[in-house]
Amino acid sequence: MIRLLLRVLGDEHARPVRRTVALMVATAVAEGLSYALLVPVLRALLGSAPAEAWPWLGAFAVAVAAYAVLRYRSDLSGFRVGTTLLRGVYHRLGDHLARLPLGWYGAGRVGEVSELAGRGVLRAMSVIAHLLAPWIAAAVTPLTIALVVLALDWRMGLAALLAGPLVAAVQSWTGRATAAVDEERARRENEATGRVVEYVHAQPVLRAGGRTGERFGLLDDALREVGRASRRSTLSALPGVVGLAVVVQAVFTALLALGTYLALGGRLGAADVLVVLVLAARCADPLLSLADIGGALRGARAELVRLDALLGTAPLPQAPDPVRPRRHDLELDAVSFRHDDRAVLDGLSLTVPQGRRVALVGPSGAGKTTVLQLIARFHDVHAGAVRMGGVDVRAVDPEELMARIAIVFQHVHLFTGTIEDNVRLARPDATAAEVRSAAVAARLDEVVERLPAGWASDVGEGGALLSGGERQRVSIARALLKDAPVVLLDEVTSALDPVNEAAVHEGVERLMAGRTVVMVAHRLRTVRRADRVVFLDGGRVVEEGTHDELVGRGGRYAGYWDLSTAPPPDRPLSPGAARR
Amino acid sequence: MTGLLRPHAGGFALVVVLQVIGAVAGLAPLLAVVELGRVLLAPGPVDQAHAWGAVVVGAVGLVVRLLFTAASAGVGHLLDDRVQLALRLRLAAHLGRVPIGWIARRRSGELAKLVGPDVSAVHPVIAHTPGELVSAFVVPLVSLAYLLAVDWRLTLVTLAPVVLAVALVPLMMTPTRLREQADFDAAQGRIAGAVVEFVRGIAVVKAFGGAERAQRGYRTAVDDFVGTFLRWVRGMSGIAAGMQLALSPPFVLLVVLTGATVAVTSGATAPADLLPFLLLGLGLTAPVAALGHGFDDLQAARRAIGRIRDVLDVAPLPEPARPKAPHGHRVELRDVRFGYGTGNGDDHEVLHGVDLVLEPGTVTALVGPSGSGKSTLVQLLARAADPTSGAVVVGGVDLRELDARERHRTISFVFQDVRLLRAPVADNIALAVPHADLDDVVRAARLADVHDRILELPRGYASVIGEDAVLSGGEAQRLSIARALLARTPVLVLDEATAFADPRTELVLRRALTARDGDRTVLVVAHRLETIADADTVVVLRDGAVVERGRPADLLARDGAFAALWRSHRSAFAEATGEDEHR
Repeated sequence: MIRLLLRVLGDEHARPVRRTVALMVATAVAEGLSYALLVPVLRALLGSAPAEAWPWLGAFAVAVAAYAVLRYRSDLSGFRVGTTLLRGVYHRLGDHLARLPLGWYGAGRVGEVSELAGRGVLRAMSVIAHLLAPWIAAAVTPLTIALVVLALDWRMGLAALLAGPLVAAVQSWTGRATAAVDEERARRENEATGRVVEYVHAQPVLRAGGRTGERFGLLDDALREVGRASRRSTLSALPGVVGLAVVVQAVFTALLALGTYLALGGRLGAADVLVVLVLAARCADPLLSLADIGGALRGARAELVRLDALLGTAPLPQAPDPVRPRRHDLELDAVSFRHDDRAVLDGLSLTVPQGRRVALVGPSGAGKTTVLQLIARFHDVHAGAVRMGGVDVRAVDPEELMARIAIVFQHVHLFTGTIEDNVRLARPDATAAEVRSAAVAARLDEVVERLPAGWASDVGEGGALLSGGERQRVSIARALLKDAPVVLLDEVTSALDPVNEAAVHEGVERLMAGRTVVMVAHRLRTVRRADRVVFLDGGRVVEEGTHDELVGRGGRYAGYWDLSTAPPPDRPLSPGAARR
Repeated sequence: MTGLLRPHAGGFALVVVLQVIGAVAGLAPLLAVVELGRVLLAPGPVDQAHAWGAVVVGAVGLVVRLLFTAASAGVGHLLDDRVQLALRLRLAAHLGRVPIGWIARRRSGELAKLVGPDVSAVHPVIAHTPGELVSAFVVPLVSLAYLLAVDWRLTLVTLAPVVLAVALVPLMMTPTRLREQADFDAAQGRIAGAVVEFVRGIAVVKAFGGAERAQRGYRTAVDDFVGTFLRWVRGMSGIAAGMQLALSPPFVLLVVLTGATVAVTSGATAPADLLPFLLLGLGLTAPVAALGHGFDDLQAARRAIGRIRDVLDVAPLPEPARPKAPHGHRVELRDVRFGYGTGNGDDHEVLHGVDLVLEPGTVTALVGPSGSGKSTLVQLLARAADPTSGAVVVGGVDLRELDARERHRTISFVFQDVRLLRAPVADNIALAVPHADLDDVVRAARLADVHDRILELPRGYASVIGEDAVLSGGEAQRLSIARALLARTPVLVLDEATAFADPRTELVLRRALTARDGDRTVLVVAHRLETIADADTVVVLRDGAVVERGRPADLLARDGAFAALWRSHRSAFAEATGEDEHR
């Protein structure tokens, strides 16, 4: 556990952690040892000369004071180290997340990472701040007390020490037994969560068929499975909890009987037997609490394992001697790329001369977006190479590469803040005039004028206060301000209403002027002005040429073109047909 | 909280009773030690039988405690499983009844969390709280009564640490401390927000090469949180340490022994009588320790139950007492006004008296800039909300007088969601018509141009989506079109906001739209020139009012709002595609 913790934290934290653990152990030992002084105190009080207790009581008071100081310092140290660690882990996590390739951030990742970073880190770090000290105290103090008893009487001491290995065995057995069941339970819960989401999404359709809660079998089954798994986990954990109680109570009973036997036989003084039993009673509660603390530790450990796995994910390798591309033509040279063992691109070659526009067309799943992602090095290729200006993108410094590329995605994320903040993100040192002219070119100025607070209007979380088209305009203004030589466009206008689409088209046209452009589009009209059209299917180039060439060739692209421009078969031509 | 758990009160009571018996029996071994002490310390020859009797009583007490606490834990956990399942099924059933509009306003993750983790949060309340409460209050009270009976003066001394600890509580509640606590909570909230934002926006951050800049916000939140936390710890540490020391076993023993030494040396107390205080006295601190601990789980459970209750309290839209049957399926909006009530009178009105008739057998395209009220109008048709004034009428019947079943059977919506269920393909298509026969399913799939693709799947129509069938975006969309075609509701509302994955899907949809399948009433929130051109009627919405309506060709000739919209749209295309050159 500690080793895992230290791996997650990094080496620089090893010393303070070890010091804190040492302090906690010392505190627990001090508590146990202070109880040794109860022996002379009680011997005096239960014997014939109670007044002799006073000096020993004084000594006990000193021991308690020492314990108090140690405990205060170890608590404080626990909090301080916990806080430093928290900060260290957050920073480490942030740095690591920033270095991970964008391709790593798949669909479920954002939620997973947010959850881990939000609550997971706190839970994992609570090990040091809240769980470690009670755990050490619950284990070490009884052990010290057992040794004190051993010094007093070897028979009673051995009986008390017997509890040690038994408790350890029960603890580890419980841990193993519950881990497997917990995993099963977590799996069932995940499945049920998936079913709930499905169920909620399918409500309109389900209701049309009159199927409500009771009758949606898939969800009911999943929920009942969760119930069954949780019952199994309950029943498997019960022996562990009860087992610990059995061991602790059996040992106490043994001590009670043994003490009685020794006292009645005159082999051990009455006062000594009673002291041992008082001390033994003192051990029972902490030992029993081990079960709860153990459960909490296992929970925190699971978070630690996830953190460790995240921090262990390798970022894309960086070139030791980065090369600066001098031109901005793009080349994919026999590129293969797999995703989950499925070939997405299969020996694909493609060149985009500097300043030219290439449009990627093809059915969904053809690998169009992957091509864009490989150019921006969201992932590394599995075979072949991606080059910018003749330089392999893997040899370029990642920041440098990104500085030369402007990407406009279909879905735009904005940061909480004002519109201006979001545009400026592209180039923080831009002048007000530059920001303004980028905004005008993207027709963002119309949006700004309409908003109550103008440039200072808040965009809401993720840009929620703006419509899709308005967000798209912000993202185009951002790309214009960035003024990068290479522009990548991914289905920029496919989800917009006519008014926004017109505005966004204008912005995109200005953005493309004079730059090297690769765009993914299925609205074939937007493709016609490209210098070259590349039709992809199954990760390969199927056809390549200008729009007119491809339409003339009568192949796949021409089929697509016909599909998207043909009037529906059984409809008379209406005004839409007037455009030809 | 009690209301939701009431049906399980019997089981709950059993858990508590078993726990009380077990915990009180747990005092027996301690009392056995006391009794043993009395026997051993008594003057004269030792009463051996009495001594062994005490040992037996102690051992029996331990066995009883073991059996009863184990039984209590077992019953508690099983009860807990039952309660959780019942709550989940109840929530699921309720989610099947609440207004769709209410669901649409929520993230699905939020609802999944409710049915999952929030229900799980009741676990400690049912399975652990009885034990904690009993050991925190019942056991100390029984002990206290016993100790008072033995020696009331020593009992008061034993209580001194508890009093001391309680006296320190107000120091933790000073305005400064409370402010620090509030700061801490706020900083914790900020850090969670910063993390989420950082991760969500990472694509943008990386695309603009400014990872460090964006990380700054995140780092500031982290440092801020850490600073606040340290301030809070520093402010609290002295008092907290004092409190913990006062409640710690060594300190309590020191106090008890000091009192006992005074009492025994003065002869006021028999030496054997101090044993109960050494053994039971420590337990008296339990209630304060428990309060200091704050019953965190209990509070978390209360919050979770609050959220569950809020959802269960969401009323389904009022159903008509005497539902009417629609005649035909002409859809009419009669002077519909709608505003999102803010509760203080200044309603923000989105629709200002919309009159609209959708004739059976026609396709109506609804166009207009974003914010013009298009999606609100669609929501009123779905009865996600009711109009503030005016009425939505289907087949001559106000939507409010149709029962939900009839409404769903009359109107369906496409592309609100193309998510497919992890279930066989055939079930996915027949989702709205559970007892459809396979021929109908296949016919719908053919119409939606997805039949051939389904036959390519390993088990054809029996293939399970996500397990042995992975469909592309376009194929999934066509499957959902097949679903709508099979449902065959006489009124169909489509929102084109979702992009089509490929031209083939787009064509299928256009065909479905324009097939004039009998006399279906179709409304499209149109985003595409082709769709608009294909429509029988175009309705232009602006600022919550209809500004133009008519056949597309007539509207173009009229040269009004629609013509302007059309031109700006067309010119954008012309500029982007160079169409003019081809003319």
